[in-house]
Amino acid sequence: MGGFAKNVAGIATLKANRKKKKMKRAHQHPLEKILENRIAIIDGAMGTTIRSYGMTESDIRGDRFKNSTKGLLNNGDLFSLTKPEMIGDIHRRFLEAGADIIETNTFGATSITQSEFFVDDPREHGGRKDPAFYQKIIDDPFLGSLASDINEQSARQCREWADRVGTATSRQRFVAGAIGPLTVSLSNSPDADDPGFRVVTFDQVKTAYIQQVRALIAGGVDLLLVETIFDSLNAKAALVAIREVFDEDGKKLPIMISAAVGRGGETMISAQTTEAFWNAVHHVKPLSVGLNCSLGPDLMYPFLEELSEKADVAISCYPNAGLPNPLSKTGFDLGPQDMARYLGDFARAGLINIAGGCCGNTPEHIAAIAQALEGQPPRKWGTRPAEESFSHEIESPA
Amino acid sequence: MSVSDGAITAEPRTTKPLRLSGSQPFTQQSGVFIMIGERTNVAGSPKFAKLVKQGKYEEAVSVARQQVENGANVLDICMDEGMIDGVTAMTRYLLLLASEPEVAKVPFMVDSSKWEVIEAGLKCLQGKGIVNSISLKEGEDKFRKNAATVLKYGAAVVVMAFDEKGQAATYEDKIRVCERAYRILVDEVGFPPEDIIFDPNILTVATGMEEHNNYAVDFINATRWIKANLPHAKVSGGVSNISFSFRGNNKVREAMHSAFLYHAITAGMDMGIVNAGMLEVYEEIEPELKVLVEDVLLNRRPDATERLVEHGESLKGEGAVVSEKKAEEWRNGTVEERLSHALVKGIDAYIELDAEEARVKLGRPLLVIEGPLMAGMSVVGDLFGAGKMFLPQVVKSARVMKKAVAHLTPFMEAEKEAMAASGQAVKAQGKIVLATVKGDVHDIGKNIVGVVLACNNYEVIDMGVMVPCEKILERAKAEKADMIGLSGLITPSLDEMVHVAREMERQDFKLPLLIGGATTSRAHTAVKIAPHYSEPVVHVLDASRAVPVTTSLLSDEGKPAFVVKHRADYEALRKAHSAPRLTVVSLETARKRRTPIEWRAEDLPKPSFTGVRVLDNFPLATLRDFIDWTPFFHTWELKGVYPRILEDKRQGAQARQIFTEANGLLDVIIEKNLITARGVYGLFPASAVGDDVELYADDTRGRVLERFRFLRQQSNKEGNEPCRSLADFIAPRETGLLDHIGAFAVTSGIGLKELCDGFRAKNDDYNAIMAEAIADRLAEAFAECLHKRVRCEWGYGCAEGLSNADLIQEKYRGIRPAAGYPACPDHTEKGPLWRLLDVEANTGMLITESFAMWPGSSVSGLYFAHPQSRYFSLGKIDRDQVADYSERKKMSVKEIERWLGQNLNYDPAE
Repeated sequence: MGGFAKNVAGIATLKANRKKKKMKRAHQHPLEKILENRIAIIDGAMGTTIRSYGMTESDIRGDRFKNSTKGLLNNGDLFSLTKPEMIGDIHRRFLEAGADIIETNTFGATSITQSEFFVDDPREHGGRKDPAFYQKIIDDPFLGSLASDINEQSARQCREWADRVGTATSRQRFVAGAIGPLTVSLSNSPDADDPGFRVVTFDQVKTAYIQQVRALIAGGVDLLLVETIFDSLNAKAALVAIREVFDEDGKKLPIMISAAVGRGGETMISAQTTEAFWNAVHHVKPLSVGLNCSLGPDLMYPFLEELSEKADVAISCYPNAGLPNPLSKTGFDLGPQDMARYLGDFARAGLINIAGGCCGNTPEHIAAIAQALEGQPPRKWGTRPAEESFSHEIESPA
Repeated sequence: MSVSDGAITAEPRTTKPLRLSGSQPFTQQSGVFIMIGERTNVAGSPKFAKLVKQGKYEEAVSVARQQVENGANVLDICMDEGMIDGVTAMTRYLLLLASEPEVAKVPFMVDSSKWEVIEAGLKCLQGKGIVNSISLKEGEDKFRKNAATVLKYGAAVVVMAFDEKGQAATYEDKIRVCERAYRILVDEVGFPPEDIIFDPNILTVATGMEEHNNYAVDFINATRWIKANLPHAKVSGGVSNISFSFRGNNKVREAMHSAFLYHAITAGMDMGIVNAGMLEVYEEIEPELKVLVEDVLLNRRPDATERLVEHGESLKGEGAVVSEKKAEEWRNGTVEERLSHALVKGIDAYIELDAEEARVKLGRPLLVIEGPLMAGMSVVGDLFGAGKMFLPQVVKSARVMKKAVAHLTPFMEAEKEAMAASGQAVKAQGKIVLATVKGDVHDIGKNIVGVVLACNNYEVIDMGVMVPCEKILERAKAEKADMIGLSGLITPSLDEMVHVAREMERQDFKLPLLIGGATTSRAHTAVKIAPHYSEPVVHVLDASRAVPVTTSLLSDEGKPAFVVKHRADYEALRKAHSAPRLTVVSLETARKRRTPIEWRAEDLPKPSFTGVRVLDNFPLATLRDFIDWTPFFHTWELKGVYPRILEDKRQGAQARQIFTEANGLLDVIIEKNLITARGVYGLFPASAVGDDVELYADDTRGRVLERFRFLRQQSNKEGNEPCRSLADFIAPRETGLLDHIGAFAVTSGIGLKELCDGFRAKNDDYNAIMAEAIADRLAEAFAECLHKRVRCEWGYGCAEGLSNADLIQEKYRGIRPAAGYPACPDHTEKGPLWRLLDVEANTGMLITESFAMWPGSSVSGLYFAHPQSRYFSLGKIDRDQVADYSERKKMSVKEIERWLGQNLNYDPAE
């Protein structure tokens, strides 16, 4: 067999691939285009900002949940159903502060997370949470339609505000469907006697996420954002859910992925380190990957740097406003100017394409960040750095 | 036909490496063969199959662990056996492995011929694993569908050279099937080519059938072809198949495996399923055997098989040449060390044995728990706090602890019975009620605390999430709990915790209250929660700290001291936070009360040089003599002063041991130059100008080189006590006297990371920590040694004649304060120092954006020579000085407040 002919075939394949890549460039998502030219801004904290409106239990209940037995005040996602004007006001403020991307108010809008507010915890009566318990949750029609409602309504509200402010300012704004990490972990056993026990199964988690993803898309989001990942297996279930919805419904949206890491750069519960995490989600070909929440910008820096070096997609970064500090007014250490300075440093170091804030970041924080990043060049990204590939010398045996 | 026939010489090209992950990343390295552990395959290991069939999963997990310890890069996990329910077994085993941090770090290969088992396996992998395998056996549609599923879960895939017609045995069939599969995967499915791993079938040779004789050659040639023609694709195979006809003759088999791999790897084989602990080195195969084996593998002569069989007969019975490695040097330590190591590393193999040894040694089971086991858990807590251990490892440590406690429990029961029999009061096992407070649904962290406590023999009653105060308190009463633990992740939970504390006070509870969760803090607990309840209210930072706190609070002997210390600590926190502010004098007054120094020319010697000097590769042997060992022992939690600590009754033995080991390691470090000491220093003409010190380019003092800005004491100054500033120790410009200042930056951390990484790669955290501790000492010694030299070069210290002990006690003239320390707490002052000495260019030392020095084991500071210069602590400063300092430094007040948070005598938020 002639090696020459085969090599020619190989080169032809490479050329064809290259052509394909170029074609893909032409059908770029509008956000992708923005990311090549400047750093895009994503909004700040929903929870922290909601609390500044001084809402009460009866406000969040409205009519729909007036007979609920458990306290709902901290179930902030419900405000999208019962106080849409307040949530709309928050979206507007973030947009006016300069956010290109706003997140839906759906961090906990899955049947699983909602169940914590509506279903008796069996542990109160000596029982336990296990896959049988969560199967009932997954099958519960009330929780299912509640989750769908929140996602769809919140997406619509975001869509409306994003378009309104976008038109008024002649700058396109984007809605990211926020997909949170759940209140359960697929990687951790709460049973002291059985490290192999899990309260919930992969399929149950996936089913809950499928419901959320479908409703977010129905509500008109531009992007899907799997965020605050503290357990990579939970995130994987979300990513599989997204893929299955795309395949079944024939619609595809860009995906953003963001992890919450601890002091060693590990996803906080499942302890997967930064590069390992990137390897595990690379196949999704996300629009961006990044870090959010957790320890605030300074402690995040080395891991952001690592991710920025390894990943061949856009990098997002929206940290908490420092470490939680229950004795400060916002509950966090850093003020708007501090956040602006840190993210400005990250930008100057060429690490980021999308920047914003997580817990403790108010519209004022986002405005300061947007201002600091104005005119800063975005991080450049392409394929993985060349020195990381290796050549395989083929020796001919003597 | 020989192996070189049909060889395709291809140009070297750039290939994307295979990237995988468990909890850690795995990246294929050029020229390094990837070993896939085969012992966790029921088909390959009868021992493993038996364990799984008998439901002995715990032991089955230890098989995986051994594979990783023996160097397997990836674990092949297969449950295909008639008597095993594949889906259940695969799921259970992988979930158990996920809880085994030392194993979970590597990627897994999910191996099954049943698709539902593969999919069940994929649902357990947080990382990027490998599916083994898919093929064209059942046609293209099924192949595409399965490949798309693998891609959906984000795994790499092994593709068997198999199609509708069957297994590809010849070279031509192999490459035809592989190319067809590759085109479908890459062009139609969109599978990343670097994630495609072909298994072109390693088939058994030397079977006596002539058509089998070229199987090895066919595989090797197919490998070469794939690597040359299918860009980025990888090649793997099950190596032990090749020698199947020699089963029972390990000597021959191992030689065949090594020789086969040698040739296959040369042709481009990337990885293989092997017994990671049992591979002979190719060069070490006996020459005669090697020739015979290669004759068979490379099909070099028709009678090759007969000749090898004949020769093999004579070798039969000679067992495996290479025995399984054991990395267990740690077993040589003392029982306390072994217990600690087992906890830190999460090894439960010997924990019962060691717990028993400790029980006999210490006399009582409880002393083992409260002594060495608790000490081990403390180390775990420290490592976790430092980001060097992660949560799953903490949980694993707790599970090891559980085994030790389980072993000790019967002895404790017996003790209790004996006590009861003799009429003494018996204390029951501690009982703790845990709950996430009302309004909050987060409890993954609290669950982990629950597991850790349960592993320590506490009865944990976990009430779940959103639990109202009254239910928590009712339950605590009903259960006669010893303690209540509250958890919360969101800010509003903090108020609910205050409410619970108030209620406990009102209802006259006598139990300690533990507070934990992401937004809680020690200061908040002390200031806002603890004042509402008379019993101890203790903040628990993380799961790793829960046990020491609980144990102290429930121990009759330990509790009083713990509570006294706890109350004092929290009182101090409250004082720091809310006590009336210290009285401060205005900056103007403080400046009038500067350190009274009568400036005289004879107190200001002229240095023998000015400017910058660099010290590269400073001899470590010299530094050794300047080491102050006392802080070294503090690193190891041994409190005392060197050398007395070596003779200390309680800690002496341990102190001597680590001292000996430290010096042993230091010998090696010095001898092999494992780390490099580098430094830079300089002396400069200088004058004080207000609270700044100006440094000049030369004696004409015309050009200002750099400026240091110092702060001045403002608080707690009775009567006419001076308000000191470091600027006071340099002659003011208006005196007209010529004074000087010195600056230095030294490190002994160059090469340290590599050294420590080397130790950690060998799982030797102990020596890694030891190396760091030694390097820290050397850096301090460097600063001391250099200071001595500088005093001489400055013209006043040559004749001081002080011993090392005198140096440690700072009996010399002059000081060397550092930025970030009490006299000069502003870390950003390292900035001008770095510019002045061009530290980065001269030594490679960096300052990070938080003004920490890199590498660690670095020291920098300033030299003051005046006889009256002394160390002091700045203490609290007021707004007027912050405003003035902000002007001088050209930094915003806000930023200065952030850097000087600890020193502010006011709350910037007010």
